[in-house]
Amino acid sequence: MAEDAEMGDGAAMLFHRKQSIYRSLDERYEIHGERYRGQQYSQIYFVRLHHMRNLLRSLVPKWKPNMPVNTVLGLEEGKECILVGTLYKHMKLKPSILDEYSKERSALPLAKPHNFIHHDDHLILEDESGRVKLSGSVLAPAAFVTVALHGKETSDGDFCVQDVLEAGLPPQIELPIGPGEDKYVVFVSGLSVGSSEFNPLQFQLLVDHITGHLGDENEQSIASEIVRLLIAGNSVQISQGLVNGQNIAPKDHSRITEPLKELDIMLTQLVAAMPVDILPGSNDPANFSLPQQPLHRCLFSGASAYNTFVSSTNPHQFELDNVQFLGTSGQNIDDLNKYSDAKDKLEFMERTLRWRHLAPTAPNTLGRCYPYTDKDPFLLESCPHVYFVGNQDKYETRLLEGPEKQLVRLICIPRFSETGVAVMLNLRNLECHALTFSTNLEC
Amino acid sequence: MASKDIKGFYRQTKKKGGGGAPDPAQTPALIAHGSLDLVDDYGEEEERLRQFDMDMRYGPCIGLGRLQRWERATAMGLNPPPDVARILQRPSAALECLWDGRV
Repeated sequence: MAEDAEMGDGAAMLFHRKQSIYRSLDERYEIHGERYRGQQYSQIYFVRLHHMRNLLRSLVPKWKPNMPVNTVLGLEEGKECILVGTLYKHMKLKPSILDEYSKERSALPLAKPHNFIHHDDHLILEDESGRVKLSGSVLAPAAFVTVALHGKETSDGDFCVQDVLEAGLPPQIELPIGPGEDKYVVFVSGLSVGSSEFNPLQFQLLVDHITGHLGDENEQSIASEIVRLLIAGNSVQISQGLVNGQNIAPKDHSRITEPLKELDIMLTQLVAAMPVDILPGSNDPANFSLPQQPLHRCLFSGASAYNTFVSSTNPHQFELDNVQFLGTSGQNIDDLNKYSDAKDKLEFMERTLRWRHLAPTAPNTLGRCYPYTDKDPFLLESCPHVYFVGNQDKYETRLLEGPEKQLVRLICIPRFSETGVAVMLNLRNLECHALTFSTNLEC
Repeated sequence: MASKDIKGFYRQTKKKGGGGAPDPAQTPALIAHGSLDLVDDYGEEEERLRQFDMDMRYGPCIGLGRLQRWERATAMGLNPPPDVARILQRPSAALECLWDGRV
């Protein structure tokens, strides 16, 4: 790999960058084999329910032994039983396409609320036979999650919930006992090249630091231990007014291509030094629906010439020295924020792991999703060791411990253009710290 | 001339009791056939396939070919009936679900 020559006091120290064995596991998020035949989203919900139902049914005997499992249509009043199905939250404030046809349109506020929570919202459970309204003080989590509920039907026809069983963290392959040396992965997201917040000097500082062109020997030796860089989405920002389908004047062409060219120049510096994975985000020139397909190589004429350049899907799953990584550019967690409250984004991340589903609100409100007919690629079958989410407001991290000794490092990667913060993870012990870059002379 | 033709036409109809009926004495409508009046354009096999389409155990049928849906059901361990797969192998079987092109 590239060598980082020392710049400074004359003693010729050559640091060799460490390497890690990388394996991409993105096949499940790639769409090229699929053919669209007019199917609707009912197919993906059916597959989701089927998988989760089988899983939950197998967990029920251990949770509540001797309790019968019923279907919604088979409910009997007053009789305690267990239901397994998908939760649906009936939300008054959730925008509906039918509002466009409503005659009282002027009465509704035109601005869509950011958060759909209303005190009148109620939960419904739907299984293969029907739906039932839920009541009870044991509040179940957000919508579209498949859970098992223990309770009984009341005289109102509601199902009063006494207890809730989620699928729980999936099984995890044990963390490999490393060679004992430190190897780092750097995460960054929200570069937003081309936006008004973008600070080229700040980005250049980041590039120079991790490629080893800055700092003294100590800094450079740490930089040589960085084995991979991961860019989690929203690397460019192209002004919305230019991409609304109208013809663009030739003088405006450059406003679209400039951010991409600038990003390519910086990326080329990075890929010349180390392997780089780049994920598409909500602002990037990739498809809108999840899973987002990799950014096309033709966008990066400079960087794509290097074999260290990897354009990946969003979500992105890979393995580095047998450590399992999984992450997104943030859309899945941001969407959950609209449905329920949590004290921080890490809590949402933890919930998606416990529900074993990366994006439960897809395809409902989360940027649509490809209408698969025979699989749901967001179902989590195994637990990653590192779970990252990009484009968040601030850097947050936690080490999550599961009931079966699973260990997951949760990372919220903040938007670099706003915060100047990147994240560094040590593969040896899953410890994490922030790298802050500032060009502000007053700090 | 035209009116003469029309009158002639009506006279024919009155005598025969049905335009172009093969047997002037017995009109088809008066003969009890012993089966439903409405004869659909599909047979028993298609009926069986439609039952398979409508069976909710195997999920929604729209947007999926019948054989593909049967294979999906097998892959998910739902044990779909083997006779459906047999019928689908025959050249006369429609490979798309009953809503195809209609929804």
